[in-house]
Amino acid sequence: MQNAKDSFYVALRTRLTTINPERTILLRGTVRPGILVEEAEAPFSQLPNDVFILRWQGLGVDMDLDSTMAAAECEILYQTCGTQSFGGLDRGRSLSAMDEELVAMLQPFYTPKFNYTATPPAAMLTQVFWDEPGLGPIVVQRDRLSRSAEVMVYSYQEQGE
Amino acid sequence: MAANWYSAPAPVARRVRGYFAPVNRATQTPVLFDPAQQGGFNLDAPPAPWISLGWIQEFQRKPGSKSTPVLAGIPAGTLEQVRETLQAQVSFQFLSWTKLTMALATGSQHLNLLAPASGAVAEANGAQASPAVTPQSGSSPVSILLSVADAATFAPGSIIALDVDYTGQTGFVGAPIAGAYVRQALTDVDYVRRITFNVALVSQVNSSGLVLSESLPGGAPAAGAKLQAVTGFVDREGGSFYQEWSALFVMQGSQGERILFHYPRLQTMASAEEMAIPLDGKNKSGQARVLLKGQYLALPVTDPLDGEHVVCYRSFLPAANALL
Repeated sequence: MQNAKDSFYVALRTRLTTINPERTILLRGTVRPGILVEEAEAPFSQLPNDVFILRWQGLGVDMDLDSTMAAAECEILYQTCGTQSFGGLDRGRSLSAMDEELVAMLQPFYTPKFNYTATPPAAMLTQVFWDEPGLGPIVVQRDRLSRSAEVMVYSYQEQGE
Repeated sequence: MAANWYSAPAPVARRVRGYFAPVNRATQTPVLFDPAQQGGFNLDAPPAPWISLGWIQEFQRKPGSKSTPVLAGIPAGTLEQVRETLQAQVSFQFLSWTKLTMALATGSQHLNLLAPASGAVAEANGAQASPAVTPQSGSSPVSILLSVADAATFAPGSIIALDVDYTGQTGFVGAPIAGAYVRQALTDVDYVRRITFNVALVSQVNSSGLVLSESLPGGAPAAGAKLQAVTGFVDREGGSFYQEWSALFVMQGSQGERILFHYPRLQTMASAEEMAIPLDGKNKSGQARVLLKGQYLALPVTDPLDGEHVVCYRSFLPAANALL
């Protein structure tokens, strides 16, 4: 399933650079697209604002198929306080912008599967695919608005996985 | 030497495995399964000529035989029963789409879409095909030897159909698996390759020919067999041909016991139908798996043991050391 998780993340990251190249994060001294995988970074005392955070949760497998199918539940969290130039009064607009970017990033609902442990990444035989996101309600914490979306990501296990 | 034993409750099983083997339509000869000799077979490697179709779901057996009482006396009382009709139905869903599962789940012929010739006129069953090429001698079920020029017309990942030219024959067409019944002579020289089950995926192309990812169902190319590229498959609602296969269904119990259902003759009794099952039970409008649904009528055979007419054999192989 790791190849599918990596492929899903890289697909969203690549799409984000096209949808909104301005959304970036300075992380470990490097400016990167504003999307990261929580389990692949140092623990956060508080989640960063204005970036998408992928958190992998539940996992299910269907082993009765010709190729085992794995389904991994991905929670995508994002939050914002708006911009300083508007004194945070644009936080609702900022969250709406992130909502739209998320929906755009997830389309189309599939991407080729790659093995990113190889250099260069090796194309595999199948595709990773996923459902429409289930968007949760806005959570208000003082001047911070946050939302989480759940996406079920599917892939077929290939030989050697 | 002694054995301990235990009292076994009813078998606990998950899904059902399905295996099919072609009935010789011309001679009406089904493939018989011997549970005494073959019942313990490796589920991933069934004995020839059985072909595994993987796991199936929603397996349902519906007996349709009817008995009627013979009445005697005043007032009439049942003297005995006689079997009035003999019938059974089977239905299930395939968990994969392959040439064979599609064919088994359609009520009629199942056709290969042959790669079209350049500029061919559009046809619902696939346009006039590109000319077939002839395998060279020495070909095997997994290796098709071709001239360099012919090999260059295929690419890894291609699907091929390999069978003889159609030369006007009528009756059941296709061997060893009959794929159609021809009433009147046709004019399409590629017709046998359109209905053949002898298809395979090309895994490698080299200067000497093609390497296939799995063996051709019909074995090494027969004399006169030719090769064409396939782009997909098509079946039709309607038609007069009924697929008929021998079938075997296996339920593997949690304690090693095994229940086997052997239908010597199963004919499709419904047209093509699909079922969409959501992958995520909590998200009914999300991704859904599209399953092929098969419905079959069991036809009788005469059991040579005692001359009885039967449609199904149910066998039970108990778990080791289970009381009987």
